[in-house]
Amino acid sequence: MTNPVLDAIRTRRMTRAMTEQPIERDRLEAVLEAARWAPNAGNRRLHRLIAVQDPRTLRLLRVVSPGMFQRPVAVVVICIDWGRAESFGMRRGLRGPYVDVGTLAQTMLLAAHSVGLGSGIVTSFSQAAVAQVLDVPDDVSPELIVCLGHAAPTQPAPMRARNPMTWQTLTDWERFPARRAVGYAEGRT
Amino acid sequence: MPTTLVLTEDEALELLAFLVTAARTQLDEAAEYGPLRLLTAASRLADTIAPRVSPETRALLAGPLRQVPETAVRTADPAGYASKLDAVCRAVARHLVTNLGREAGTP
Repeated sequence: MTNPVLDAIRTRRMTRAMTEQPIERDRLEAVLEAARWAPNAGNRRLHRLIAVQDPRTLRLLRVVSPGMFQRPVAVVVICIDWGRAESFGMRRGLRGPYVDVGTLAQTMLLAAHSVGLGSGIVTSFSQAAVAQVLDVPDDVSPELIVCLGHAAPTQPAPMRARNPMTWQTLTDWERFPARRAVGYAEGRT
Repeated sequence: MPTTLVLTEDEALELLAFLVTAARTQLDEAAEYGPLRLLTAASRLADTIAPRVSPETRALLAGPLRQVPETAVRTADPAGYASKLDAVCRAVARHLVTNLGREAGTP
């Protein structure tokens, strides 16, 4: 089966090398607007996004983000507002808000792909340093950085060779299989 | 070997920031990312100093270090990964011996 949404899901790739070409404001705003529609537990909206285009700030973010291979021309930092979470009776560190960081990120990655932008996510950064660079208050935590830009013609090799995972090897029907049947040889990692 | 300065203060600070933040992120990451981060730091240092170093050192920087893919990790090919790192270490040591020399009397 195919349609534009499935095609976008299948053709999106992690972009680890980007050109210096700026991205148009309307494309960045399209990505941010898509984030607004991401699934969100209880519609609580516990997240804040910080969009950055200033080259000096981008440089600072990159040097405190060891996982940022690319040199993005824009980033969106997804933060959890723990102060707001507490107003719903949620203590800091509960896993729900982290799940929604993922839905926000994936929604933005697909939106970026749909408007012709390359994107990549970075979780390897110092939260303390990023908070310092962006003036993030103590009750808000930066959790994930979405890098945006135009993909360079040549990309670094993937981190590992693609394994033969298919949706069938990823999926079990009805219940988890007995341990002996777990198919590591079939591509589980 | 000439004692030319090859890093500006800003460049040195960037490398320092990378190293200390990598130390912190490593606490929460897969152990296989440890060597990856160190190699990324080495590559960034190489990129920065390459235009200002001697031709011999520039040749070293363009050598085996560049043979390790930017995103390579150990688990993808443990033996091959170790072998590539050994090659980098040998090349660096050879360069050091050639350019810094050994103690007098050392064969």
